[in-house]
Amino acid sequence: MKRIPLAYWFLLPAAVSIILFYVLPVILTFVFSFTSMASDTGIYGNHYVYSKNAIRALEKSTLNRDIFKKIIERKYVFDSESLKIISQSKIEKKTQTEIEETLPGTVYSTEKALFEALDKLKNKPRSFRDKKIISRATIRSLNGEEFIEISEMRVAFEKLQIEVGEEDFDLITEVTNTSWHWTTKNYREVFSNPDSWRIFKNTGLYVTLTLGLFNVGCALIIALLTFYMSLGQSKFFRSLWLIPRISPSVLYVLLWRDLMDHSGFISYVMGYFGVAPTNWMGEFPWVTIIVINGFVGASMGMIIFSSAMQAIPKSLLYAASVDGAYMWQQIRRIILPQIRWPILFIASYQTLSLLTSFEYIQLSTDGGPARDTEVWALHAFHTALSNYWGNLRYGFGATLSVVLVVIGIIASITYLKLFKFQVLLQEPPIEN
Amino acid sequence: MKVKYFLSFFPIIIYSITFAYARDVEIGFWTKNDPIDYRNGSIKMAVMILNEELKIEGADVQVVAKIRSWDGGKAWSNLKQAYSLAMEAGTGPTIILSGHEDIAVWGNSGLIQPIDELLDLDTWPMSNIVESLWGPMSWNGKIWAVPQDAEARLLFFWNKHLAKIGYSESDLEALPDKIASGSYTLYDVLKDAQKMQDQGVVQKGFGFYPRPKKGGDYWQFYRAFDGDMQDSATGKLVLDKQALLAYYQFFHDAVYKYEVTSKNHIGTSWSNWHAAVTSGKAGIWHGGTWQRAEWVDMIGFHSFNENVGFGLMPAGKSGFKPTTLTHPLAYMISRNNDELSQLAARIIAIATEPRINSLHAIKSSHLGITKVQDAQEFYKNNQWPSDTSSLLENAFSLPNNTSFGQYDIAVWNGLTAVWSGRLTPQESVDYITKELNATMGGKVIIK
Amino acid sequence: MEKHNSNRISTIILFVLSLPLFILYFFFFLDVFTVPSTDSIWPESFTLVHWRFLTETLSGKPSIWITTLNTLIFSGCVVAIVLVLSSTAGYALSRLKMPYRSQLLGTLLLLHSFPSVSLLIAIFIILQMIGLYDSLVGVIIIKASLELPFGIWIMKGFYDTVPWEIEMSGVQDGASRFTVWYKLILPQIYPGLAALSIFSFISSWGEYVLPFVLAPSAEQQTLSVYLAGLLSETTAVDYGLLKAVGLFYMLPVMIFYIFTHEKLMNIYGGGGGSKG
Repeated sequence: MKRIPLAYWFLLPAAVSIILFYVLPVILTFVFSFTSMASDTGIYGNHYVYSKNAIRALEKSTLNRDIFKKIIERKYVFDSESLKIISQSKIEKKTQTEIEETLPGTVYSTEKALFEALDKLKNKPRSFRDKKIISRATIRSLNGEEFIEISEMRVAFEKLQIEVGEEDFDLITEVTNTSWHWTTKNYREVFSNPDSWRIFKNTGLYVTLTLGLFNVGCALIIALLTFYMSLGQSKFFRSLWLIPRISPSVLYVLLWRDLMDHSGFISYVMGYFGVAPTNWMGEFPWVTIIVINGFVGASMGMIIFSSAMQAIPKSLLYAASVDGAYMWQQIRRIILPQIRWPILFIASYQTLSLLTSFEYIQLSTDGGPARDTEVWALHAFHTALSNYWGNLRYGFGATLSVVLVVIGIIASITYLKLFKFQVLLQEPPIEN
Repeated sequence: MKVKYFLSFFPIIIYSITFAYARDVEIGFWTKNDPIDYRNGSIKMAVMILNEELKIEGADVQVVAKIRSWDGGKAWSNLKQAYSLAMEAGTGPTIILSGHEDIAVWGNSGLIQPIDELLDLDTWPMSNIVESLWGPMSWNGKIWAVPQDAEARLLFFWNKHLAKIGYSESDLEALPDKIASGSYTLYDVLKDAQKMQDQGVVQKGFGFYPRPKKGGDYWQFYRAFDGDMQDSATGKLVLDKQALLAYYQFFHDAVYKYEVTSKNHIGTSWSNWHAAVTSGKAGIWHGGTWQRAEWVDMIGFHSFNENVGFGLMPAGKSGFKPTTLTHPLAYMISRNNDELSQLAARIIAIATEPRINSLHAIKSSHLGITKVQDAQEFYKNNQWPSDTSSLLENAFSLPNNTSFGQYDIAVWNGLTAVWSGRLTPQESVDYITKELNATMGGKVIIK
Repeated sequence: MEKHNSNRISTIILFVLSLPLFILYFFFFLDVFTVPSTDSIWPESFTLVHWRFLTETLSGKPSIWITTLNTLIFSGCVVAIVLVLSSTAGYALSRLKMPYRSQLLGTLLLLHSFPSVSLLIAIFIILQMIGLYDSLVGVIIIKASLELPFGIWIMKGFYDTVPWEIEMSGVQDGASRFTVWYKLILPQIYPGLAALSIFSFISSWGEYVLPFVLAPSAEQQTLSVYLAGLLSETTAVDYGLLKAVGLFYMLPVMIFYIFTHEKLMNIYGGGGGSKG
């Protein structure tokens, strides 16, 4: 028997969890993007409802007119069939007997009329539940009814003596089923909604500005400045810039909110310049989301750049320090070229992180006003998981994610080309 | 003697044996957490009474309530999302207390069951519930829930500030009636707010101080211009372009013409908003009856009655009617096995008992839901506002429709686009029309 | 002389750049211990009332200590899983011959472009099928899996920097490849393990969306969910309390950071090395 190479054993545990809990959800999300799945359709199972909408759709359909009439007709009948069901129920015997004696042959057009008739009995049904049993036994209509199982619906058809062909039955189940169905409408909606383009532009602007100004720009400045400081000072500033990352997002955004509120520090300071206090976050929503994200995002680049700079051989730096224009020359000629790779790494990795991040925006502007600061990932979250009125559109949310992923893949491939990816993959010199 | 003594204990022994063998049935109850309401308390009480009833009936069952309250900055969204997923996974609660608009969504997906299958609504206390509240409980020809509370949303104003711009004592007294008759309109609100700012009574941007976040309240401004939300024949959602334009124009005028509301008002934190309206920093604002309880009990604004006047939400312009939105919460029963459903229905019926309901209504400044509460000493003496009948007469509620959430977001985004000055009212209406056509197709009738 | 001057300038620049952070956290620490004033940004008096959550259970909330324990278990497990699985998989991808190696690495990087939040519905369905919805175990597995691609890349970078000679000599001495990895290579990448553990600890300690959506029961609550629950939809919020809980929440990470931050600066041993 051939031995399984060690590499696979090393890879197996990670591979299983990634495939099961990362790749499989990705595939499922792709599948969902072609469905109408939402909180009003449910995720599992079918649910057949003869609602007003369904009946209107049936009316317009090719369904046999006689069958349609029988479906919408509504009456409560005491025939041998219904009496049999009542006699098998838990309803008290004396009530049953009285029904069998007095009611056969009667027909009622509403449940209310039926209940009134039942209440007139000497041995009237003891509970509401009993009345409901009788109602269910005598009803001869599908109008307004609902079924969880298709077999229940077949029984109901038999009870009503409606003869339907398989074709008609399929049509009826399709129309009445409130469960999700396959569709490409989601993709059409993404492209026909005028807001999609705005949100797309917002996303581009947000990623570019945050990345350029903070995640790379600010990170690089801090790394360079602290590089030239004494150990104590550099430790202090680096730790300071890490605090936002370890602050819980809810708290961190709240601190910014306090700072920018009517009664906050900015309004307080601006008061000395005669500016009336205002809600600065609402005044400058774009500055808000970029700064809030940026102060968190800069720390990652800062760490990577700083440690990369420390890895630069000291001899290179000393050689340059002989030069007159000390610091700036050193940075331009030696440090920046040496940390080219980390910069590219951070730029690419953070592009993807920013594309998919939304938490701080959600907590600060929540995409407002009027979707001015809504980015794609937040839009997907709002659509699929957070609606004030509880309408969660899982399928459409999945479509939005798929679009985002396509953008992400294009960005990654571009970056991987820049990275000269293959360089990172020297072949191992030892065989297994 | 001794035997007799022993025998007298016999029923108790039998009783405790049955009790010892009683099964515990867990009934989950979820709602939004609120520090000053009585929603959880009502259910606890109802379960206590039900358990006594069950003991007396000799049933072998006792109910244990498992109550979970949802909180956070988006408590309602959180509750609804968690319920939708938990029900799919089969771990959801038996009873959910949420906004009535969820009936359509959850009824359609089969998460909840029609309550008229489980409860005889012609029996006490359901038979005593105010008729108009059953409308929001219905969907698709069935009744799906029992209302838990009702409220009205009102226009509030600082009496002192109005006095400073020339309102006499009697003018102030007559104002609520003027609003109710439709002669004091939304534009009069803007004019008065502007006067307050011009005379330095309030700062700029504080004359008219609307709700700072999204919410059903804003539909009142659409209704104030006679906008329809639902087509009664087909049950489809309706968007009346003319009313929508007037609604957007009103806020555009408030911000840019009269300058009584600030451009970046939306997004003001609730804490700041509550502080502004309770301190007199804001002149005129709108809110819900229940907010009075928050102002008095939580913020300590005890001089509310002397300082603040209120009325219905005024008509948009003369010729239209004043409005107010009522958004009753609704007890719904999850689709479940028969035993749980029956017990849940009994709990809901007991919790609807006027005496229990009054505790919630009074504590949180909501309106009672039954007619008999008006005759109840505790309710009558403590009720606020004291005259509620005129409020509910003018009340409308949001449509129960599975697509309401989507429709609401579009209209809200249109408003905030006008508010922030990015679009003119007309542009915004055109934009929304285009968006709704693209995304909701035939589900909305645009007229 | 020149060096001195530029040093001072850089300190000033950095100070100005960091000014918002100073202000943010200055007021944060102030608010946690004081009674706020209604009309001034300066507080009224000192108080410890915001810390009452430590001794009493807030209404409608689980105990803070159980929640903290949950969070510790959650983060600890995630870190452990991520460390073990990334160090084995990273080794395989860095050192062992296998087909499609570059494709695998590329795929791992691409996975990062999937917004984890949009996978939630799919993840929910999978967890529900294996019976782990609404349990901390389920969230741990998911969080760890989502962290793995990053972890594997970092570890691969660290393995790349270990000289091949170490491995060669081990193999020549007759040790198995596994023993070589365990006894010789692993000790070489301790800094990498430390850095990765810090990253995954910080990331899981702060994780909010996953536990919130996938384990909604109160008994499973983590600190992030507890904290977010202190906000309110419409009523006024007790900000002093919220900030105190926030500080309490940050303390473990701060302590963790103080002990390990030297290691964090070494992270660039990985991630591609100083090649290029």
